[in-house]
Amino acid sequence: MAGHYRYDGTVAGLLTLLARLLPQCIQPDAISVEPPAQASLFAGVVEVDTDGEVAAAFWGELEGRLPPSGLQQLRLALLAEQPERELIICRYCRLVWQQGKGAGAMLAHPQVAPLWKLARQVGREAHRWLGFVRFREVRERFYYAAMAPEHRILPLIARHFADRFRDQQWVIHDVRHGEGLVHDPQQRQWLLLPMETTAEPEPTPAEERFQALWRQYFATLAIEARTNLKQQQGKVPLKLRPWLVEFGGR
Amino acid sequence: VELEEKLTILAEGAKYDVSCASSGSFRRNRGGIGSAASCGICHSWTSDGRCVSLLKILMTNSCIYDCAYCVNRSSNDARRTTLTPAEVAELTIGFYRRNYIEGLFLSSGVVRSPDHTMELLIEAVRTLRHEYRFNGYIHLKLLPGADPLLVRQAGLLADRVSVNLELPTRESLALLAPDKSRDAVVLPMRQVNQLIVVNRAERQESRRVPRFAPAGQSTQLIVGATDDTDRQIVTLSEQLYQRLDLKRVYYSAFIPVNADSRLPARPTSILRREHRLYQADWLMRYYGFAAVELLDDGTPNLESDLDPKTGWALRHLELFPVEVNAADYEVLLRVPGIGVRSAQRIVRARRQGHLGMDDLGKLGVVMKRARYFVTARGRYAGDCALESTLLRGRLAGGEGRKKGVQLPLPLDGLRTSEELAALVAGEF
Repeated sequence: MAGHYRYDGTVAGLLTLLARLLPQCIQPDAISVEPPAQASLFAGVVEVDTDGEVAAAFWGELEGRLPPSGLQQLRLALLAEQPERELIICRYCRLVWQQGKGAGAMLAHPQVAPLWKLARQVGREAHRWLGFVRFREVRERFYYAAMAPEHRILPLIARHFADRFRDQQWVIHDVRHGEGLVHDPQQRQWLLLPMETTAEPEPTPAEERFQALWRQYFATLAIEARTNLKQQQGKVPLKLRPWLVEFGGR
Repeated sequence: VELEEKLTILAEGAKYDVSCASSGSFRRNRGGIGSAASCGICHSWTSDGRCVSLLKILMTNSCIYDCAYCVNRSSNDARRTTLTPAEVAELTIGFYRRNYIEGLFLSSGVVRSPDHTMELLIEAVRTLRHEYRFNGYIHLKLLPGADPLLVRQAGLLADRVSVNLELPTRESLALLAPDKSRDAVVLPMRQVNQLIVVNRAERQESRRVPRFAPAGQSTQLIVGATDDTDRQIVTLSEQLYQRLDLKRVYYSAFIPVNADSRLPARPTSILRREHRLYQADWLMRYYGFAAVELLDDGTPNLESDLDPKTGWALRHLELFPVEVNAADYEVLLRVPGIGVRSAQRIVRARRQGHLGMDDLGKLGVVMKRARYFVTARGRYAGDCALESTLLRGRLAGGEGRKKGVQLPLPLDGLRTSEELAALVAGEF
């Protein structure tokens, strides 16, 4: 039965929904968290309750049906923040159910291309933020970084920072999605937690000194005869600059 | 002198070195701080569009040499200053902890002797590696004429080492850098290459052997300061890649920083030339092109308005068009508009079914160029034939192409507003 499907917005919820839809070959018109803005005349809204066990079993089935690269793309797409993502994932899974493992490689196929594109966007953004995260040493003796990525990339970058700054107590705060990574050097582990800002953290004196040094250094680096602001803006879009110390950000 | 001022002076002296890569080395954090990512990570971009990945700095900008092209030459009236190894380490760690940088690029002017300076550089890097237990990326400059033992130590501490060749020919080097000899520059490169080969063999035997320069070595050539041709430069690069197994050759467009009668004024379109050289460099490293294919005796320089691959394709029209559903990977790589990634995708995707012309764009092929050189399911999609004389103009950069223009409306002849109203109302 085609129609509008609702779920609770979690990954487990989406997997439960897919587990219900795929075996029955249902092609939904829409999948969303919110109720539809306008009720359809011919099809009702179906709400699917999240079931952890169903979701886990379904993930196991996905692991069997998809090659590792396809699974990785799906993982990335699940973290994407785009209104159509559930439908894109659903269509992709349907093709995999119909065609088997080879489906993942049909990169130009209309049911694969959108998922693949979404996965690339998420992966690319995660890689970019590996460079753009800026830690500030705050008075409470830990390093704090705020960011606002398009997609929920925190799970993708956690391992990198946990390995690199393993002796450091740090927090990476995704302001847009209201969640954050907290790393504890004693336990050597990190947690993904809901997080909100209450007050602007206060920097230490050493922090202010290093920020000044970095700004000064950055300003010196450019070679005037080669100025190319267009390229710079392509690499560092304006919307990212408030998060970067060297562009006058915090 | 304050640290801030020193940093400014020494960054100013180091910024003309173009090497910025932080890739090619994989180092896990072993109980300290830092790691090296094999893909490399850029942390920012300056207003000239170059990426910032390493803290690029000189140990000192005093120098006993007097090379014509260099900002730090001894005859320049510049403020001279020196960082101590401890200061270098402190700055690096301070920036690194805040995730500003991927590691350190340490170079230096030559004070007293190459050996003495080299020892200073090694001291700084040793402090980082041993006292701070820093596992991030380090690029260390080797100074021509330094003792082989010091070169060895440097490679054991750094991820990448480099010596700058600076000028493509012996004659140019003798003209602009009379204090350096070509042999003094090439000698450490040879030695590093041998050490890397030996180290690789030793590590096959036992993984306990520490790595020697895991990210290899690179070098830099200044382009446009002398009248060497592109052909000389590209051929030299090819030899460096083949014989000395270099990871990268960087090309630096000559920008006059000194007034000197031996130097030319700033050549026009030098940045374009640098860009074309990088394209040729990529073609040799990733696309299986040989230097002689890109440039021969008849064409000593790369064309400014065509990228080298398109230029090559236009000289070899007999090989085109190729059928994307059948051609080998190596053949696909040689098609203008198809890169390494899109060629791999084509090979992967066509196993699942024939590809049409519309599919190619989705796989990342640049159809603007590729459509003249491929067929898909036997169809050709270029808007002029391969043999056509128009083809070259279509492929050459923007200016030649016509943009759409609006035809004039028949409003110019009208004088009164009544006439205009009548026209708009359709009573004309």
